[in-house]
Amino acid sequence: MTRMMRVLTSTRRRRRLWQRHQSILYALHPDRLPAESIRLTYTFGLGGISILAATLTILTGLFLTLYYQPTPEEAHASIVLIEDVVAFGSLIRALHYWAAQLFVLAVTLHMARIVFTGAYARPRRLNWLIGLGLLVLVLLWDFSGYVLRWDEGAHWALLVGTNLVGRIPHLGRSLYLVLVGDRQIGEAALLRFYGWHVIGLTLPVVFGIVYHLFRLRVDGGISRPPRPAGRPRRMVSKEVLFQRETIAALLITGGLLLLSALRPAPLGASASLDRPPPTAQAPWIFLWVQRLLRHLPPFWAGVGIPLALLTLLAAIPWLDPHARAGRWFDRRRGPVQALFAFIALLLIVLTVGEVIP
Amino acid sequence: MKHPVRWTVGAALFLLLAMAFAWWRTGQAEWQQWQRRYNAAHPDDPIPLGIRSITPSRTGQPELCTTCHVGIEEISPSHPLETFGCVSCHGGNGLALDRERAHAGLVGGRNPSGFATMARACNCHSHTGQAGRDGVERVGRSLMATYAGGIALVRHAFGAQPDQEGRYGVMAAQDPNPPPGFVAALKPLPVSAPDELMPALAAQGVTASGHPIDTRFRRSCLEGGCHLSEPATPQPYRYRSTGCAACHYLYADDGLYRGQDPTIPRDEPGHGRLHRLTTAIPFSQCNHCHNRGNYSLRTMAFTPRPDLPPAGPSLSDFLPRQQRRLAEYYQPIGQFTLCEWELDCIDCHTSDEVMGNGHIADAVTDSQVVRCRTCHGTLWELPQTAPITAEDEPAMRQAQLNGHGKLRVGDRVVVTPRGEKMWAVREVAPGRFVETLKVSGEEVEVPLVYGSACQQKPDEQESRYCHACHAYPRDDALKPFLSPP
Repeated sequence: MTRMMRVLTSTRRRRRLWQRHQSILYALHPDRLPAESIRLTYTFGLGGISILAATLTILTGLFLTLYYQPTPEEAHASIVLIEDVVAFGSLIRALHYWAAQLFVLAVTLHMARIVFTGAYARPRRLNWLIGLGLLVLVLLWDFSGYVLRWDEGAHWALLVGTNLVGRIPHLGRSLYLVLVGDRQIGEAALLRFYGWHVIGLTLPVVFGIVYHLFRLRVDGGISRPPRPAGRPRRMVSKEVLFQRETIAALLITGGLLLLSALRPAPLGASASLDRPPPTAQAPWIFLWVQRLLRHLPPFWAGVGIPLALLTLLAAIPWLDPHARAGRWFDRRRGPVQALFAFIALLLIVLTVGEVIP
Repeated sequence: MKHPVRWTVGAALFLLLAMAFAWWRTGQAEWQQWQRRYNAAHPDDPIPLGIRSITPSRTGQPELCTTCHVGIEEISPSHPLETFGCVSCHGGNGLALDRERAHAGLVGGRNPSGFATMARACNCHSHTGQAGRDGVERVGRSLMATYAGGIALVRHAFGAQPDQEGRYGVMAAQDPNPPPGFVAALKPLPVSAPDELMPALAAQGVTASGHPIDTRFRRSCLEGGCHLSEPATPQPYRYRSTGCAACHYLYADDGLYRGQDPTIPRDEPGHGRLHRLTTAIPFSQCNHCHNRGNYSLRTMAFTPRPDLPPAGPSLSDFLPRQQRRLAEYYQPIGQFTLCEWELDCIDCHTSDEVMGNGHIADAVTDSQVVRCRTCHGTLWELPQTAPITAEDEPAMRQAQLNGHGKLRVGDRVVVTPRGEKMWAVREVAPGRFVETLKVSGEEVEVPLVYGSACQQKPDEQESRYCHACHAYPRDDALKPFLSPP
């Protein structure tokens, strides 16, 4: 072990591993970064975790496409086949599921980190909007995957979700037809959601992440506090960041594997519109909408309020024109942080209220 | 970060361990555990671990059920696994190996042949238009399912109805073509007062009669696990299933499974002896309902007989079969002739009698038509017989299903007063009759009254007149077995 450590820690060995072979991931990093930008307690690595989760989701999803059959007759049965018969099928599907949940969670927390550190400040306003768009894409990606299960819960979530779209004034009917492809949910809807999930949303998510990272570099890298006058900024080699990312990736992948081995991805009984499920439940990311639906007219609960919240979130950089990045919970940005906290708390309370009746 | 390389190595080891754990977990699927358990019970004939698939010809859809239910008995030779598979009768998801998913949508839970689901699960025996292949409809109108006669008698005795005609059943029944003397429909047994009529009961068609006896009758007697539609009372000697399986699926006295399916617990009472349907039904199966005690009209309560061993070995473990039959008969005043002792119930009671003839019976005399003279004849005539004329007539099919039948087209067999051919009682030579015992397959000569020294009178043909001379001394026969020296 000591000998191995010695070999691994030798400078020559490191060079051979990461530099001589020109690892593409290594090469993508800037050569030197400000130490404050990559401080763990500043970013918590949430952007990187999101990218790792997306990568794992896509890789495992590729395997699932080898067996999944996007027809109403075969969809659920093919997942049962993946779960019960295909070698490692259950593990891969669970990894797909948990990586996707981690993606949603990490992206959401990443957004909160951006707000509470003011990282959306100029010149990163556009990237804030790109990130917000990515969040929407990720939620739709997650929802379309939920639908593909074609179990009781998914079928009813699809029914409710698409009917909500149909409530949008003027455009609703057309949007419904675009989404469902028929007068009612059936073969066309499943095929469309499959198409959106596998290609129509995956490609935008991938390109969105790439563009988000590109903008990050263009906008001057990860945000940081302004350099104190008269003191040089401490810079670190990209090797430090790369090592941290490697360690985090190994730990998180291992954790996801453990979770997947212990908790398989959920799958309900085969869908049947003739037999409503005992409790129709949206995926957890939309439980707050389901809660609103219990109290408000469908249009407001499913379309109006979510769009209003999204608009508010999009406007945050403009509501905070003098924002300066780099400090957690900066009191000068109190109102905007309070607004974001209020929205987050509202969604959490509505979600918890739906889980615990 | 101090020691980044050590961290990297540690994280890599963690990932490797997680991968190893995930790999190990994939080998711990429930079906693998059942197969390991099967192999542990069969060390001399283990099976290779793996997913087992069959594609029954009836559906053409692969089924994986036998991956877990490895070793389960084929339900019957007339329902071969390669033809019917499991899903045809049981429903469920044949492609799933997870217990919950595989059993989602099971038809009737463990028993697809209960009254609620038998028309779907046993659809080959329903509305086929062929004689003898309408068991689902027949049994639903039979006395053992409806108890219409008993209900009519009790209600009449308590003044709840003016005559003994069947109006109510444990379950409702309809007969679209009732012959003269038979009722057209039975309603489910009523409750007494309207405020007792819960919505669930009303949805079943239950009404309120206004008579105080009916609710007590429902609660005390009819929910006591005595009729084909109701679950059995979970006690030793009384275990049975419902619907078709109430008779055709045999239970041991202790209700324990003794087959090879590793998923069926062998120490949990309430399972059939084997996963097997049979028409060779021994008297012990009938006894799981009959001869289990009495119910009192006065108290409206069932009193189990007190003389059965409470637990442990069943009667059959220490009494030879025929002595057991004698011991099992509960009524102290009951009398047996030798054939009633030696034969099984189904050797005399025919399919039409037991499962019904398709019409709603509201009295035992509507169902039970076989008499001593049906097989033994009288002093003045031989038993009535009829020839077997076709391969697919009910008697031939019954003989084939039973497995012991040796019937051929052209054979003459005894017929009941209703004309039902008793396939097991053949006239092997003019004036010579042989009965094939349906459970054991043994062949016994049928002694005839015709030409004997019997002193019967033409108008005294009921069994009690035969018992007057031919009753077997029950106590004497049992003494050596119940009180060993």
